[in-house]
Amino acid sequence: MRGYHDIGGEDAGPVPKEELPWLYWEKKVEAIRNLLGDATRRLVSLDELRHGFESFGIEKYQRYSFYRRRLEALIDTLEIKGVLTREELEAELAQVKHDWTPDTAGASNSDKA
Amino acid sequence: MTDKHQHDHKHDDHAPLVVEDDAGNLEAQQITAALQALLVRRGLISAGEINLEVQKIESPGTHLGAKIIARAWADDSYRQRLLVNGKDGASELGIMVGEAQLEVVENTPEIHNLVVCTLCSCYPRSILGQPPSWYISKAYRARAVREPAAILEEFGLILPEGKKIRLHDSNADLRYLVLPERPAGTETLSEEQLASLVTRDSMIGVAVVAQPQSA
Amino acid sequence: MTKPDRIPARFQIGDRVQVLDLKLDGHIRTPSYIRGKTGTVIQFCGFFLNPEDLSVGKTAGPVYPLYRVSFAMNDLWSGYERPEDDELCIEVYDHWLDAPEA
Repeated sequence: MRGYHDIGGEDAGPVPKEELPWLYWEKKVEAIRNLLGDATRRLVSLDELRHGFESFGIEKYQRYSFYRRRLEALIDTLEIKGVLTREELEAELAQVKHDWTPDTAGASNSDKA
Repeated sequence: MTDKHQHDHKHDDHAPLVVEDDAGNLEAQQITAALQALLVRRGLISAGEINLEVQKIESPGTHLGAKIIARAWADDSYRQRLLVNGKDGASELGIMVGEAQLEVVENTPEIHNLVVCTLCSCYPRSILGQPPSWYISKAYRARAVREPAAILEEFGLILPEGKKIRLHDSNADLRYLVLPERPAGTETLSEEQLASLVTRDSMIGVAVVAQPQSA
Repeated sequence: MTKPDRIPARFQIGDRVQVLDLKLDGHIRTPSYIRGKTGTVIQFCGFFLNPEDLSVGKTAGPVYPLYRVSFAMNDLWSGYERPEDDELCIEVYDHWLDAPEA
C-alpha cells in the first residue's frame, strides 16, 4: 500500500507561502535527535525517525505540524528501543506541567545557553 | 496556461500548512521539556550539549550558500571543481557539509533546476539551515514533480520559452544546491557583493537571481 | 568495525533502467510515481547503507549501489503540459532497478 507520505504527483492546492518562525522547542527536538543519533550514542537515526512518522498513522501525520511529528516519532522510536516508555514520559510531563510557570516558559524559550 | 487538474478544494481534510496553535505549542514545549529531563536523568544527554547543538543547527543559513555561489561565479575553476564534488567544494571555503554528498546543479541558458523532496523534507541543512515552510508543505512536495512550471509561476517565475526544467527529487543520500545563473551587470562586483545578491529561493530553484539595480 | 559487504553494481552511466514495483513494507525511498517507469542512469553515486535496513536499526550492511536516474517528464506523466524536454532526476538503489522489459 502506498505510504501516506509518498505524495509526489498528487493533486494539492496552491503552495502556502507563509514563512513560519523556527521555534525554540522545535530546535530542541532537532538537537536532541542529532545528539541521540551521533556516533557515541547511535540511538535514533534519521532513517528510524522517518520510519516513525511514516508509520504512526495518517491521522497523526495530517494533524500534527512538521516538528511535532518528529517529536512524536522520536518518542516512539525511543520506546521501541527500550530507552523509555510513554508512561514514564507522562509522569515526567505531569511534573513539568505542575512546575510550569511563565518563567519556565520564558527560560524554555530562551536562546541563551 | 490553464490548470489541468480539476480537483475539489477540500485539501485533504487538513490545512495546507499545519501550524500549531498556542495550545499545541505549549503542549509541545512541555513534552520536549519532559523528554529532555528524562534523557538527562538517564545520562544520555546533558543540557549543555543540547544548547551547543541548538547553536550549531542555528548557524547555517542563506549566507553560506551565497558564499559558495559567489565564489563559483567569480572563479571558473572553482565552479568546475564544485560541480564535480560539491562537498569538497564547500569545504574549500570552510563550509563543512554534514550530509553524505552535495550535488551542485547549474542553471544555464538552456536549463533551469528545481529541487524538492517529495517523501519528506531533505534539504542541504548544513549549508542553508532549515528549509522554508513551503518546501515542506504537501502542495510543494506533491505538485513540484508533476507541474513544475505552474509552481514556478506561483513564485512569480516564468521561464523563457524553450528553457528546459530539470527537477531533482532529493530522496536518498545526496543533497542539492542550485547554482543560479549570474545576472548581467555584475561584472565589476566583488565576491562579497555578488554573495549579497544570492537568495535562498534561487538556490532551491523557485527564483532566479535578479539583475541588481544600477549602482 | 569490519567493512560491510557490497552489493555489486549492475548498471552504469547511460544504461536504460526500469524501476521495479517491489512489494516491500517499511521505510522505502523509491516513490510510487516512478515505479514501473524507465529512465537513464546519469550518475553512479556510490555505495550506501540501505534506508530500508537503517530504519529498523540494521546498520551492519550490506551497502548498496545508488544511482541517479533521469526520467523524461513526458514518460512520467501522461498529458504533461510543456513542449520542452523537461526531466526529473532521482536517486534509486540498485535492487529497485532492472533492465527494461523487452
